[in-house]
Amino acid sequence: MEIDYSVEKPVIEKSPTVISINDAIMRPTAIKADKFFYISLSVALLALTVGAVSLFYTFWYGIGMWGNNRPVGWAFGIVNFVFWVGIGHAGTLISAILFLLRQKWRTGIARFAEGMTIFAVMTAGIFPLIHVGRPWLAGYLFPYPNQHNLWVNFTSPLLWDVFAVSTYFTVSLIFWYIGLIPDLAVLRDKTINKIKKVIYAIFSLGWRHSNRHWNHYEMVYLVLAGFATPLVLSVHTIVSFDFAVSILPGWHTTIFPPYFVAGAVFSGFAMVQNVLIFIRKVFHYEHIITIDTLEKMNKIMILTGSMVGYAYGMEFFIAWYSGSPIETFTFINRAFGDYAWAYWIMISCNVVFPQLFWIKKFRRTIPIMFVIGVFVNVGMWFERFVIVVTSLSRDFLPSSWHYYKPTLTDMGLLIGSFGLFFTLTILFTKSLPVVSIAEVKAVVKGSQPSHNGGH
Amino acid sequence: MEEKIIYGVTALFDSPNNLVKAVKSVNEAGYRKYDVHTSYPIHGMPKAMKLKPSKLAYFALAFGLTGTTLAFLFITWTMSIDYKLVIGGKPFFALPAFIPVIFEVTVLLASIGTVLTMLFYFFKFPNNKHPLHDTEYMQKVSGDGFGICIEAKDNNFDEEKIKSFLSNIGGLNVTSIFYDSVELNHKNKVFEPKFIGFLILVFILISGATYFSLNKLIYMPPFTWMHDQNRLDAQESSVMFGDGFGMRPPVDGTVARNQMPYPYSGHPELALNLVNPSAPTKENYELGKKKFDIYCSPCHGYFGKGDGRLNNQFITPPSLQSEKIRNWKDGQIFHVITEGQNSMPSYAKQILPEERWAIVDYVRVIQRAMNAKEEDIK
Amino acid sequence: MTNNNLNFGYEKKPVPGYFLKMGAILAGIGIILIILSLFVDPVRSSFNSLIMFAFMISIALGSIFLIALEYIAGAVWSVPFRRVLEGIGLIIFVVPIFAIPVLLNIHTLFSWTHPEVIATDSILKNKAPYLNTTFFYVRLVAFFALWFLFYYLFTSNSKKQDATGNQALTKRNIKLAAAFLPVFAITISLTAIDWLMALSPHWFSTIFAVYYFAGSVLAALSIWAIISITLNENGILVKGLKSDHYYSFGALLFAFINFWAYIAFSQFMLIWYANLPEETFWYIARGTGSWMYFSIGMIVVHFIVPYIFLLPQPAKMDPKRVKWAAIWILFAHFYDLYWIVMPTLDKNGLSVSWMDFAYLIFGIGLIFVVFSLWSKNRNLVPIGDPKMKQSMEFEL
Repeated sequence: MEIDYSVEKPVIEKSPTVISINDAIMRPTAIKADKFFYISLSVALLALTVGAVSLFYTFWYGIGMWGNNRPVGWAFGIVNFVFWVGIGHAGTLISAILFLLRQKWRTGIARFAEGMTIFAVMTAGIFPLIHVGRPWLAGYLFPYPNQHNLWVNFTSPLLWDVFAVSTYFTVSLIFWYIGLIPDLAVLRDKTINKIKKVIYAIFSLGWRHSNRHWNHYEMVYLVLAGFATPLVLSVHTIVSFDFAVSILPGWHTTIFPPYFVAGAVFSGFAMVQNVLIFIRKVFHYEHIITIDTLEKMNKIMILTGSMVGYAYGMEFFIAWYSGSPIETFTFINRAFGDYAWAYWIMISCNVVFPQLFWIKKFRRTIPIMFVIGVFVNVGMWFERFVIVVTSLSRDFLPSSWHYYKPTLTDMGLLIGSFGLFFTLTILFTKSLPVVSIAEVKAVVKGSQPSHNGGH
Repeated sequence: MEEKIIYGVTALFDSPNNLVKAVKSVNEAGYRKYDVHTSYPIHGMPKAMKLKPSKLAYFALAFGLTGTTLAFLFITWTMSIDYKLVIGGKPFFALPAFIPVIFEVTVLLASIGTVLTMLFYFFKFPNNKHPLHDTEYMQKVSGDGFGICIEAKDNNFDEEKIKSFLSNIGGLNVTSIFYDSVELNHKNKVFEPKFIGFLILVFILISGATYFSLNKLIYMPPFTWMHDQNRLDAQESSVMFGDGFGMRPPVDGTVARNQMPYPYSGHPELALNLVNPSAPTKENYELGKKKFDIYCSPCHGYFGKGDGRLNNQFITPPSLQSEKIRNWKDGQIFHVITEGQNSMPSYAKQILPEERWAIVDYVRVIQRAMNAKEEDIK
Repeated sequence: MTNNNLNFGYEKKPVPGYFLKMGAILAGIGIILIILSLFVDPVRSSFNSLIMFAFMISIALGSIFLIALEYIAGAVWSVPFRRVLEGIGLIIFVVPIFAIPVLLNIHTLFSWTHPEVIATDSILKNKAPYLNTTFFYVRLVAFFALWFLFYYLFTSNSKKQDATGNQALTKRNIKLAAAFLPVFAITISLTAIDWLMALSPHWFSTIFAVYYFAGSVLAALSIWAIISITLNENGILVKGLKSDHYYSFGALLFAFINFWAYIAFSQFMLIWYANLPEETFWYIARGTGSWMYFSIGMIVVHFIVPYIFLLPQPAKMDPKRVKWAAIWILFAHFYDLYWIVMPTLDKNGLSVSWMDFAYLIFGIGLIFVVFSLWSKNRNLVPIGDPKMKQSMEFEL
């Protein structure tokens, strides 16, 4: 199939009418849940229960239930945190950055991706809270006047995390909600269920599709996108600072900020792509979330995967170039030491397999791209594992060296995090429109006045 | 039934092109208080409606700068002024480390501020009592309709004239919209009683929860488990020892850090073996004088003559200027200070060994001073 | 599929005469100053040449990168301007001139070229397999060969397309772009390491190449904007370009100013925070004496001023303001490279000399001369590009 570069391919295929978009997107929220819904929700809830049980053990017996030891004081807790925050970044990138770059193909996937961001950040936020010994004292993380006359340590990256992740969650929630307002108004007007109508009416705040309002709305959307872009970059940068400000070899390297951001986008897109493959099938949105869209997402995965590969190479080169035997040892240890198995999973999943996306056929074939997406997520989880655990298990003093093994509780929490994320996602698909009705309508053929270079 | 008050006249259009053309006609006809309703933004509509660009970007800038300033001032005050701590060897005003939080607060305040301004100030939301809600017009617009509504507030409002005008420019379903009684009495105040009540409720809940958790909850088990541990705290009693005391005296033979036990305890004759290690420096003599004046002069007097301030109230010690003492070895004087002698108590616990030697040197000084010979003056 | 659509009214016109005149005068003055400087203080002169070498590579290589980026991203707004970008990329062929003074004085600039230094310094001995004169020259030649090759392939395909409108050429360039990007990443990184980071051979920073990359994109974008806007003001590009097209110049400049600041801050803050002497000495050198004011000045010149200037939406869309912002940013990039290189020579503080501008004057003049000569009888708009029509209709 030859591409004709002289015409702009419509983003929404099969030229649906505006009203059919309305109906198609509203439908899942209006009909009764089917078997597939209940089965997938049960699986997710099961995973969530495993997590809840693990969490109970963690709170009741303390962090000793985890595999953390000296010197590996940070393990699954922080790896899971970074993993989930990273996944959240794809949503904001799709919503905000692709909006600023005027990429119309984002319209079919932006709403869902933003929702995934919020759920991913919620899942991520649990880990810093529970990995401290006394989570009930978490309130001290916020700077309020207290009897000890103490303030929080504003120079600590752990505190920067608190501000960054809570700001990110708040702004993503606001961005998602603002995008939802027009759609909630549509649902309010179209639903026949009286209770739902009241709920939609409350949350749509009385939106009445006024173009005077759209004028302000578009400006605020642009402003939010303009803020969300540096915000999302700053959040994972600050997460990378958790490691990079230290002096631990393998952690203290200046390339961490852009490397982590690229990695976050990489894993986030893989997760979004994976889930969207299901969504488009289940809800019959193949003409909205098209193969072209998925292909573009896979291209972004090659791009960010290559950036991650570049960072691996640069780190390795400079570790040798620096002449520091400790740095050189750290990197050789990663590849050939106790955790070599984790390192090679990481390299194959992050650098080798995604290269298959150079082949156009693979980019456009659903089963293949799904499998590569899963590999990318596995690889990115292992990347954080390799960074955190190998560097800690071989720190400065050989007498401190120790091997880390995760416990069942650690595994349970990891499973539980997936459970929470997917439970929230599945519930989201049933209660709110997973595709932005207003945005998709705006790019459907014939929806815009023709003298403006119609679509 | 009361006469219905009219809100405006609405008309629907069947395509975006027709809508834009119609809007231009409405503008040319001189109507100002009108609105266009579409379920998605139409390109070129703000231009057709002659709308000015939204000023919200300026609000965003203002909120953002406020956030930056507040965060910068707050962090500087807490870290560099109020409770200065040396963290990581960095200066108190560690600006590079302040930047991340300042940036986050900027974005947070800008986003929240802009959105709230848009919703509450520009849109005057929430407003579910608007006359256009629950009309067939709004039903159609929410689907795939494009509509124009000319409001009664407009100067040139004439219901019949507008109805025919809208039909002429291609409007379909031209209808008049009236206020319901509920909608009519709806005044859009920000601080309605329900909202104030809601705010008060939130305030009470949050303060209550904070008070409870930080003043009561963390002192209740199991949150006290880390706090109330089975370890022995200072001055606690203990069931492990017969006398019930948790604090025990040190084991026999325990010496304090940097302490050398005195080897000639109880044996003044062996004190002759002690060698004075102090150097005859000015500092040493000044130290000796200082310590002598503090500890020895009350009984011995400033020149060792035994005429101290406690004369006749306490023991009068023999003069240090006597032949006997002048002929004593340094070690013997050291021994007496360390162990005490007769009525003189031991000063070992008050004067460090090196200070005692300094006192010995000073005693030699005053002895020489009181028994000066001709040669000493030369 | 061919597309010979020439309805967008392009007429081949020559670039304004003052391009060549101004360029020749600047180049002439520059060459005289350079020759003088080589006699007065050859060491300082070679440092200045190094700055311009890095400056010119950043422009040339950055331009080729932007060409590749346009193809691989399928960008539409930039198509009318791409031929100008190709003209700027031609500079890659004249860049080696600036390497000559450096290579003639290589022993003064780079301490690792001295075998006796390497013998006593264990850190340099460790790096010697990479940081040795032979491999340095091999890399230099290999990288330029690769860059020449890719430039030639991109532009010859583009030129061919003017006549035939053959879409297969676009497809070929897209594939070429995909191949170029990894080559670009590796070559620009090693170039930055070899010529700039190795001035302080004990120092290392994994993000240094990214820092140089950010500056390069800014420099290339700036000169691209300046020339494109100037040509359009004189009616030499195609009719119908409007503020919607210029917006992308303004927005990209703004975005990369932010990106540069982000990279610069990350590098500084991490090294400052960990406080390891083997890393901090490089920044301490740039805070010694009057260098401290220069460093703080960089934050103002390279970040605060362009940020405030380009923040408002209208500023990004107004070609005049975008042009002035671009000129400022181009100067800021020179300031940046000066800050990286000169503290190695002037260890006690900033000490500007007339020689420091000799190569800059020459370089700017050279760009305009080369561009003018290249543009003779050439289409300054890629009229055969299949996306031209879409691009002329481009609206935000």
